[in-house]
Amino acid sequence: MTTRVLVLEDDVALRTSLRLVLEDDGYEVAEAGDAEAALELVGGTDVDVMLVDLMLGGVDGFTFIRRARPLTEAPIVVISARDGVEDIVSALEAGADDYVTKPFDVAEVQARLRALLRRPALAQAASAPGEPQDGAAAAEVCVLDAEEGPLVFDRAAAHLRRGEREIHLTMTEYKLLMVLSENAGRVLSRAALLDHVWDRGFFGDERIVDVHVRRLRKKLEIDPAEPRTLVTVRGLGYRLDTR
Amino acid sequence: MIGRPARPGLRSSVTAAFALGALLLSVLLSVGTYVSARQLLLEQRERTALRQAYADAALVRDGLATSGTSVSEALGAVAPPAGASMYVHRRGQWYSSSLDQPGEALTAVVRPTVDGGSAGLGWTGRTDPHAVVVGIPLPSVDAQYFEVSVADELDATLRTLALALAVCAVLTTLAGAALGRAASGRVLSPLREVTGAATDIAAGDLGRRLADTDDPDLSTLVASFNQMVDALHERIERDARFAADVSHELRTPLTTLTTSLALLQRARDLGPPSQRAVELMADELTRFRRALEDLLALGRLESGIDEADLVVTEVDELLRHALATSSSPDLLRDTPGTGPGTSVRVDRPQMVRALVNLVRNAELHGGGLADVRAVAEGDHVDIVVRDRGPGVPPTERERIFERFARAGGTKTGTGSGLGLSIVAETVHRHGGKVWCASADGGGAEFVVRLPLSDTGEVPP
Repeated sequence: MTTRVLVLEDDVALRTSLRLVLEDDGYEVAEAGDAEAALELVGGTDVDVMLVDLMLGGVDGFTFIRRARPLTEAPIVVISARDGVEDIVSALEAGADDYVTKPFDVAEVQARLRALLRRPALAQAASAPGEPQDGAAAAEVCVLDAEEGPLVFDRAAAHLRRGEREIHLTMTEYKLLMVLSENAGRVLSRAALLDHVWDRGFFGDERIVDVHVRRLRKKLEIDPAEPRTLVTVRGLGYRLDTR
Repeated sequence: MIGRPARPGLRSSVTAAFALGALLLSVLLSVGTYVSARQLLLEQRERTALRQAYADAALVRDGLATSGTSVSEALGAVAPPAGASMYVHRRGQWYSSSLDQPGEALTAVVRPTVDGGSAGLGWTGRTDPHAVVVGIPLPSVDAQYFEVSVADELDATLRTLALALAVCAVLTTLAGAALGRAASGRVLSPLREVTGAATDIAAGDLGRRLADTDDPDLSTLVASFNQMVDALHERIERDARFAADVSHELRTPLTTLTTSLALLQRARDLGPPSQRAVELMADELTRFRRALEDLLALGRLESGIDEADLVVTEVDELLRHALATSSSPDLLRDTPGTGPGTSVRVDRPQMVRALVNLVRNAELHGGGLADVRAVAEGDHVDIVVRDRGPGVPPTERERIFERFARAGGTKTGTGSGLGLSIVAETVHRHGGKVWCASADGGGAEFVVRLPLSDTGEVPP
């Protein structure tokens, strides 16, 4: 089955050139010049991954991401000329998974698409990174918080449940939780998380980790302002504490 | 050119004018005071002398009227006041109470009047100091009485007065000068503030303004100055915005070009000339992209560093990242680290970019990277990047940090010409400095000096 990429970009020339390259890579590409058309495509067909520009005529990219998120968990890569930290953080908080600033090298976008599309196979994930804790990685279902809820992470089904309530995870959140739960009880640095979830370890990108941790906390924690499950270890990184 | 003597400053001129004014005024007053006081004292002295002479003349006349009394005896019977000499002229003979001066010469000034039969008063310069001469005819005893009083008291008084007035004049002049200096200082103090503000603004502090004042004489100056700085600020921002806007607008088309080129590069059915053309396009687009990224980076730097982006980072970590993207990441193994704890507070992506630029500069223009090291000393750390090139001539060492400047003025065609100015801008924004020196054993040495962060601070 071919992978479907949705390209939402209002510049016809860039949209076309991206389509040509991605088609050459073997993707099936759907193009949209505005957010409304893109939302229709997301709602009507199966989209595996999206490339989304932020500055669009009419509804902007941030709004599109917020509206598309309930419809699909497909990874969203923002391609934007805006390189301000606040733009990057807002896009990630709205639900994007990755952010590339223009001018970019198309090879970089291709690499990020591949990384995001790589569904972590359980067996593969268990061996990395580091030695898993006994019982935690072996089980496909892992209880994160037995005290309240309970909060259960079903790795095979890629979903999270608190009591009867089903909590939806995006692909990136799922991958992040995967890595954290395999290493429950031990500290993972931002760089390590970046490496395992996004396949790269450049400097400025560590904020991506912070934003996704924040998003994940909203789903894991009773009170995201005072995390008890996904805790910050000052100066080092993050740790998942199962209870 | 022949040097002209330096024009006196405004403050010196005002001070001199005040001093001169005070001097003229005090001289005028002093002279007036002296002249009128002298006049008054002289008249007083003359009156006293006249009164005394009449009294003494009456005694001498009474003595002479007594028969058998000689002139000398008559004179001897009278006690003249201190400093006064008495003379009697009788029948062609001169008699005197003192033997200092001949009476004839001393009394010459009043003799004609006395000869005429009336009392006379005059001054003679034959004594030192001058003396007042009073002559009184004594017809009843056929004699003339003269009294010569040396005015030494008057002279001393006048001398003291003159001295006092001169001292006053000098003091007034000095006071005038001091007043002038103070007044000009007061007048010039707003100007000093303007100068300070202008200096700050020239040094890059465009937020500096003059404080509002309710002084009607100064409010116009303050308002105009602040308006001028506002206009200047706006202008600079507009220029910077223009460059940023232009760069921003070029992002999407450039991305389209590189994306399309990537497709062309994959094509296998291109002939050799077309392949060569694609290669040329790729090279130029890389250069174009680098220049655009540099312009955008400069634009970001110019808009200032956000305090929130400053993170305490170990110098070794910065070096690792800077060298990771270079063509000689192996160099890292030979780079002596500063060890844990040597940290700087930086905007990490910006500082890494600056260090990457230095490394790239050594690789592209410096004949290859020789070594990179960091030395912590006191409250700062020096990051030294050394290359294998011919070095930078001393005259060029400052210029190479300017925009679009290239060492030796040659265009090598590989860089944007902005790399080192980004380094300089980044380092300055972090409160550090950067310079170029010649390395031992040839080659150029670029040193980035950054203030060390307070130890014990850990990034969250």
